[in-house]
Amino acid sequence: MRAASIRLWRTSPATYLALVVGCVISIFPIYWMVVVATRSNDVINDVPPPLLPGGELGANVGRVFANEHAAFAYGLVNSLVVSSVVTLSVVFFSTLAGFAFAKLRFRGRNAMLLIIVATMMVPVQLGLIPLYMLMVKIGWNGSLQAVIVPFLVSGFGVFMMRQYAAEAISDELVEAARVDGCSTFRIYWNVVLPVLRPAAAVLGLLTFMQTWNEFIWPYAVLDANTPTVQLSLSLLATAYYTDYAQVFAATALATLPLFAVFILFGRQIIGGIMEGSIKS
Amino acid sequence: MTSSSVVRSSAAARAAGDRVPWRSRLTRADVKFAPYFFIAPFFVLFAIFGAFPLVYTGWVSLHDWHLIGEHTFVGLGNYTALFADPDFWNALKNTVGIFVIATVPQLLLALMMANLLNRKIRGRTFFRMGVLIPNVTSVAAVGIVFGQLFARDVGLVNYLVTALGLDAVDWQANTWSSWIAIAVMVDWRWTGYNTLILLGAMQAISKDLFEAAELDGAAPRQQFWRITVPLLRPTLVFTVIISTIGGLQLFTEPVIFGNGRMLGGTLGQFQTVTMYMYETAFQRFQYGYGAAIAWSLFGLIVVFSLVNLLIVRRAAR
Amino acid sequence: MSQTKRFLAVTVAAVTALGMVGACSKETAGTKPAADGQINLVVDTFGDFGYKALVAQYQKDHPNVKVELRSVQKLDDYKPKLTQYLAAGTGAGDVVALEEGILNEFKTQPQNFVNLLDHGAADQQANFLPWKWELGKAGADGPLIGLGTDVGGLAVCYRKDLFAKAGLPTDRDAVSKLWPGWDEFISTGKKFTAASTGAKGFVDSVTTSFSAMLSQAGETNFYDRDNKLIADSNPVVKQAWDTSMKMVSEGISAKVPTWSKDWEAGFKNGSFAVTMCPSWMLGIIKTNSGAANTGKWDVAAVPGGGGNWGGSWLAVPAQSKHPKEAYELAKFLTTPESHVGAFKEAGPLPSSPKALDDPAFLALTNDYFSNAPVGKIFGEGAKSLKPVVLGPKHQAVKERAFEPAMQAVEQGKLTSDKAWQQALKTAVKEAK
Repeated sequence: MRAASIRLWRTSPATYLALVVGCVISIFPIYWMVVVATRSNDVINDVPPPLLPGGELGANVGRVFANEHAAFAYGLVNSLVVSSVVTLSVVFFSTLAGFAFAKLRFRGRNAMLLIIVATMMVPVQLGLIPLYMLMVKIGWNGSLQAVIVPFLVSGFGVFMMRQYAAEAISDELVEAARVDGCSTFRIYWNVVLPVLRPAAAVLGLLTFMQTWNEFIWPYAVLDANTPTVQLSLSLLATAYYTDYAQVFAATALATLPLFAVFILFGRQIIGGIMEGSIKS
Repeated sequence: MTSSSVVRSSAAARAAGDRVPWRSRLTRADVKFAPYFFIAPFFVLFAIFGAFPLVYTGWVSLHDWHLIGEHTFVGLGNYTALFADPDFWNALKNTVGIFVIATVPQLLLALMMANLLNRKIRGRTFFRMGVLIPNVTSVAAVGIVFGQLFARDVGLVNYLVTALGLDAVDWQANTWSSWIAIAVMVDWRWTGYNTLILLGAMQAISKDLFEAAELDGAAPRQQFWRITVPLLRPTLVFTVIISTIGGLQLFTEPVIFGNGRMLGGTLGQFQTVTMYMYETAFQRFQYGYGAAIAWSLFGLIVVFSLVNLLIVRRAAR
Repeated sequence: MSQTKRFLAVTVAAVTALGMVGACSKETAGTKPAADGQINLVVDTFGDFGYKALVAQYQKDHPNVKVELRSVQKLDDYKPKLTQYLAAGTGAGDVVALEEGILNEFKTQPQNFVNLLDHGAADQQANFLPWKWELGKAGADGPLIGLGTDVGGLAVCYRKDLFAKAGLPTDRDAVSKLWPGWDEFISTGKKFTAASTGAKGFVDSVTTSFSAMLSQAGETNFYDRDNKLIADSNPVVKQAWDTSMKMVSEGISAKVPTWSKDWEAGFKNGSFAVTMCPSWMLGIIKTNSGAANTGKWDVAAVPGGGGNWGGSWLAVPAQSKHPKEAYELAKFLTTPESHVGAFKEAGPLPSSPKALDDPAFLALTNDYFSNAPVGKIFGEGAKSLKPVVLGPKHQAVKERAFEPAMQAVEQGKLTSDKAWQQALKTAVKEAK
């Protein structure tokens, strides 16, 4: 365990204190969301607000699933499909293109990278209407392709992987593999991908979360027959006011899969330091 | 890491590999065209689903285009009107102001948190998950919680402020106070996100460098600023650019802060450019003018990103 | 290579899952192709309009019509989506609900909707309150775009316990007598604020009072009959403004903007004693105040006699493939009998005089609000309203020019005079 000898990486009580403070600030709102989900609707206006869970969770969750119109279970399954496919695709194509931009030489490389970065700078809100018109034209409105296919690649992902690969992968490594007779794709698969794993896991995590939480576009192009989970949340209709207890119970349920995904990817991110210290 | 074994065997292969013509031709084709195949999927999908809306919006911006009505071609009329529009300049001032007071502390904090998380700590997954949670939380929950914090009469922050003997602040009413409140929301939601991105990059820095520095007797602080930060440069550039893009398109947080309205306060004191664009296109139905705002914003982001790129490059050198 | 295999396995699983997407959609009328002679109609609403039983009955009576009800929870989500459907020329329901604010904006582009008069809607006029019918039209002689569903008849909700603390009467009839007009309302407010009740002010904020005064004025508000902006010269507007400003300067406003956190929490914590409440607001007040405050609120008449805030219409978008059948459905959903039916299912206040006289409606009381006879109070308020000519951008001028200016005065950011200038300037921009 030589890693421990590096003083920058040593932990002290102060480290834990800082982390605990940071996490408490981060976690509080979601904790509070759970508190409301376990109580009746009107506690939201208490001053000071309630800080301990109540006993209404079962009833609130029951109301969520009993709401036929919202089709919450469908929403969960559909979101799982959409987010998984988009995440896998984004990670794959981003690492591939990021590697190409960082380590391969080809004509127009810088210009094309600039174009990719520029695509992120376009404000999205106004693009909704033309994109919707396009979907109607090809007949995809109302079906899941409409929220999957346009998002199979991401400028964000390519740029992130490019920046990461530029530092993490040494040119010698690529050259050496090339001389060994590896095809470029083999180099990517056998040499580059393992090195990119921690960052790819971060990208995968962020992509999954973003896709899972996406509301505006699914809402614009899908309908209540094929909802994603965020769409289901918005379909929990009440007469005129928001039933926060029900909405938060549903939101808490909708957040659970994200934790599962986090644990899955989290293990990949942890890689780095620990693994390196054991092997070398 | 298998790097050392690859390097060793390659020296032998180098001599043999060059002699086989057909294979070398294949290799040459592979070297030449593979990069294009690797980046093609992005461009193909973008050409279909990204370029069309972009070009269409550009076309719309050259018209006096009622969202659900008639339209007539006006050339660059929308753009000249925009540059003389005080509401646009007000929105731009707000956007840049909030961007500056939100982004600088956010990135420094993210760097610090990433450094803490890059240690041998117990409960790593828990802490890493913890910092990212704000980004997972639903917008509805964020709105309610921050409403609770920054309310004038019943807010927690004002409770503390008055406990210190100061006057309660009407957070939405003043320019400075609304900017601060929004910056806090932005930092709360996005610091963990940047932390994780930086952490991913920190994990890739070779341990040998730190061990060498350790032997030279470099203090932890020196190790951090002399090794970690310079080696993070590409990723830092990435986070700065992403924050610039996100910051100048700031929308969700100020909308939540303003009770879901696009006005950005009674006198527009926290209306951002994107809010103004949304208000113009979808509430006033001036789609053409809104499209002109979108394209101008796009231009501004390009300029800002380039400026920030230069600053970061120089600073991290 | 176990990493590779795992990656492939996950990919395969994901692709398989994608193939099963069909299994994950609910099958309903809208997704199936129509059989011979079968007509599918889609109804778009927000919240709960109380149409489930009515639609079931309609389908029974019209075996060749299949109706799908689509709705989302929030008006804020509903409006941009409907706008998008209209802009793209496809996607909207055959019958769509238009809330007051949306209706006024969409009326500026009437070509997006079927003129219901073309389908013989004129014979329905007697079924609706005169002002509700007028508002469904785009301009005094314009096409009829919407048939009225509910109204938001105004009343005043007040806290009995705070009134008692201030030495004011608490009985709802006596309270109504306190303020025949707005001046008396203000002097009552001054009496209230002079006593120590722990409240921040008498009324929550002045913007809703401003709206009430405008709707009581009758005739014109911001626009004249030729759709010319007259906000700067119409004495009705200036008078409502001055009265509202007096409410601020006399210190009776708690200065909490409607829908803000302070406003929501203020119900529970007694920040104010009075709020303008349209019928649909009762549920919101109950939710915000919580069970602990049961019986503390009561309902009295609004100063100046009646007023309206909110309410919706049903319209048929021009893009509908079955405009005639869609109109028939909209007509059915807005008959007096249907108004009562919807009211029984979900509680929206009828806009049909016949429904408002229905014994079931008149007998309505609300136990949370001290058993106030809300049916009678709201029904009378709604019936006493006079039709107002609302210009094309009435809602925008009110909500984006005048209300923020008034709130800026409440915040102490502008003087009343400066705010008036600011409001007029913004009004010109909004009206463009």
